Amino acid sequence: MTEKKESKAKQEEQVRIGVYVCHCGLNIAGSVDCAEVAKYAATLPNVVLAQDNRYTCSDQGQAGIKNDIKEQRLNRVVVASCSPRLHEPTFRKTCEDAGLNKYLFEMANIREHCSWVHLYDKEAGTEKAKDLVKMAVAKAALLEPAVEAEVPITRRALVIGGGVAGIQASLDLADTGYKVYLVEKEPSIGGMMARIDKTFPTMDCSICILAPKMSDAGHHPNIELLTNSEVSEVKGYIGNFHVKVLRKPRYVTKDCSACGECVKVCPIAVPNEFDVGLAVRHGIYTPFAQAVPSTYIIDMNLCLNKDGVIVCDKCIKACDRQAISFETKPVTEEFEVGTIIVATGADVFDPSVLPNYGYGKIPNVITSLEFERLINAGGPSGGHLIRPSDRQIPKRVAFVQCVGSRSEKSGRLYCSNVCCMNTIKDSLLIKEHWPDTEICVFYVDIRAYGKGFEDLYQRAKNAGVVFIRGLPAEIVEDKKTHNVWLIGENTLRKGVYKINADMAILSIGLEARKDSEMIQRLLTLSRNQDGFFLEAHPKLRPVDAATGGVFFAGCAESPKDIKDSVTQASAAAARAGILMAKGHVTVEAITPITFPEKCTACGLCVKVCPYNAISLNKDLKRVEIVEAACGGCGTCAAECNVGALTQKHFTDEQIIAQIDAITENEPEKKIVAFCCNWCSYAGADFAGVSRMQYPPNARIIRTMCSGRVAQRFVERAFARGAATVLVSGCHLGDCHYINANYQTQKRVERLWKKMEQNGLDKQRLQLLWASAAEGEKFASKMREMKTIVDNVKPEDIEKGKKVFAKVLEATKYS
Amino acid sequence: MQKFWRRLSIPEKMRHAPLDLEKVKPAKMEIHLIKDECKGCGYCIEYCPKKVLEESDEINARGVHPPRVVDESKCINCSFCSIVCPDFAIFVTEKKNKEEK
Repeated sequence: MTEKKESKAKQEEQVRIGVYVCHCGLNIAGSVDCAEVAKYAATLPNVVLAQDNRYTCSDQGQAGIKNDIKEQRLNRVVVASCSPRLHEPTFRKTCEDAGLNKYLFEMANIREHCSWVHLYDKEAGTEKAKDLVKMAVAKAALLEPAVEAEVPITRRALVIGGGVAGIQASLDLADTGYKVYLVEKEPSIGGMMARIDKTFPTMDCSICILAPKMSDAGHHPNIELLTNSEVSEVKGYIGNFHVKVLRKPRYVTKDCSACGECVKVCPIAVPNEFDVGLAVRHGIYTPFAQAVPSTYIIDMNLCLNKDGVIVCDKCIKACDRQAISFETKPVTEEFEVGTIIVATGADVFDPSVLPNYGYGKIPNVITSLEFERLINAGGPSGGHLIRPSDRQIPKRVAFVQCVGSRSEKSGRLYCSNVCCMNTIKDSLLIKEHWPDTEICVFYVDIRAYGKGFEDLYQRAKNAGVVFIRGLPAEIVEDKKTHNVWLIGENTLRKGVYKINADMAILSIGLEARKDSEMIQRLLTLSRNQDGFFLEAHPKLRPVDAATGGVFFAGCAESPKDIKDSVTQASAAAARAGILMAKGHVTVEAITPITFPEKCTACGLCVKVCPYNAISLNKDLKRVEIVEAACGGCGTCAAECNVGALTQKHFTDEQIIAQIDAITENEPEKKIVAFCCNWCSYAGADFAGVSRMQYPPNARIIRTMCSGRVAQRFVERAFARGAATVLVSGCHLGDCHYINANYQTQKRVERLWKKMEQNGLDKQRLQLLWASAAEGEKFASKMREMKTIVDNVKPEDIEKGKKVFAKVLEATKYS
Repeated sequence: MQKFWRRLSIPEKMRHAPLDLEKVKPAKMEIHLIKDECKGCGYCIEYCPKKVLEESDEINARGVHPPRVVDESKCINCSFCSIVCPDFAIFVTEKKNKEEK
């Protein structure tokens, strides 16, 4: 059958493929014999040129390809090098420059999926690389040129989160001239920075430098500030997001002059969130003095007036301007934006889960955030550092570092970035106010990595702050004096210390927001194992999300200090600005193509489309596709059993050609793996980047979504004698195409049932949900599947061939 | 202070008592019941936002169960009980005596 197709393709146009095998220095050449792979590639059908070179992506390498396209009249190019997620755009551009349609380029991933994961087995690595090249060549022969559709971009932006990162990003975009919607969950913007007293390393007053920015954001004509609001729904795609924001009522109207008379009469009092519970606020309140918008809000969870019954009218009576209205209802605002910046920030670690530090039980153990409020002149103690038990100014203060960072016990393995410098700053602040205070800092490592940081560290040392390496194992309270004893091991002097202090300050780390899962769902983002949002590329696209048109700023992406947050915010604004300035974006030509003459108008594709981009025209007995709404998952093509619909650039023929290439030699030793571009393929890439070693059985076929994997593909792999098949995609709920991977699950379950009915071991078909950060999960699945491959008996394979033999006949295409 | 503090609900994350509690300490309230005027409609019990009142076991002159004060310190002087009482049988005043201090 392949022969037939080849001859047909030849009739249309002589296919001339050029294959380039990249050494990538020793990254590939170290464990793959590139020259042999190139030699092998030259023997493959349609290949007119095959060569290996040191760096294909270099200018020289690219110039070579361009030259060959012109001189050798190449009309397909295959590069065997790194992941297409990294360099496909580079080589596509090379082809375009030489006048070749960029969809006539194909990549074989022999670095992340081969050389890096089989470092110590050159023979097997080379064999696998040959197979990967063979697959790419087989697909390349069937590639077709395509034209990309242009999508207009709405010139408005949504910024989620009004901390310093969100404010900076909004201001940058607004100053450029774009309309910005800044959505903040809390009643005021300002975020974490508003609570901090001073900033390191320059010791600027935090709120003094933030307040003007907050006020600018509040009054900017291009910024629409939506406080006390939450994003409830995001639909659409890059350039054309439809956003719904739930605006919760403040119960205080715009007439409020912020005189504060209402607060005096309110009978309700609770600890204030802004001061971390160290001060009291009332049922009607303003979060802090510099709040933007400068108005009041009623906390309906506490107010006595519930369900429309006015029980207490004290605030209403006290308000001269009659600005209080209990009738206001939540409003859902809807608008269109082109780009989204996620600046949702981070939470602080709650140290009460560590019983050995006694936080919450010992009164004189406080957190660094509570310290910030205590040392702040506008804070509850008026700038006096007092210890909670007797409200006296402490003489001896101990700082404990890495509470909720870099420890397995707290479940947070990462470094929170800011705590070291924050403590050094705090110690200097104490020394500034009360020079006689004795200060001990217990640390693991002091990380003073930034500009001016080391200087500050030295200043603290010179000021007499004592740094002791080794965290206390325990903090015990002296019941009489309420002093604390810190007991631990000094790892530099190799001795046990027991130090008495008036109070201990726990330097708490940052952690991902508890509600970041909601944002993740809304925007189909990925998160790393620590819970922070995952960028598209850690080095070269550090502010882009994998989802087009979405960018990150601030601690939502990883813990960082104010300077880095602001830098990233401006970067995100610039990235979003680039898209909006251009005004349009091209979408990959991976939308479906239909063959109306074959369509039976069964409507299956209409049902599975996550974007409602397909509609059934009953009169004409065919389906119609709205290309602009299509996300490009290919679920419809997988569902169509009559061959009336297929996905551009991932056609049935191309994928089948890849399956056939894998199963041509020794299929009984192989794993045919289908990986989705966004999660599991990226996860496999991550395994490669991390050099996680696994057996070389797998041959990965990339699809945009696991929903593209049709039952007939799996059946064909078994019919051709493959030992095992892996279908993998994003975790359920994390699908980049809304919910297309639920179809994957359904199809795999159907296949399992079929295999069971026919007496096949259903273990031979595996389903894996792996995110882009779960390289180890992918690698261990490979190890697990290797044992399954080893245990599959030849008669099982024969049986599989027989059971699914029909599919080889049935899949015939025009 | 301890008693007042119980009237506030401390969220999990805030482990230290506010430092300015004294300033916001509300006045002590006294609830006056004219038991024999009560006809046992239960409005005051139903509508009290702080659930200060409950039905008692005793029987008054009108043959019904008048309310009983459960925890006077929880009262915040909204006076809604006296507003809803159809028989003017309940009212709240601020405590004048100093011995509470």
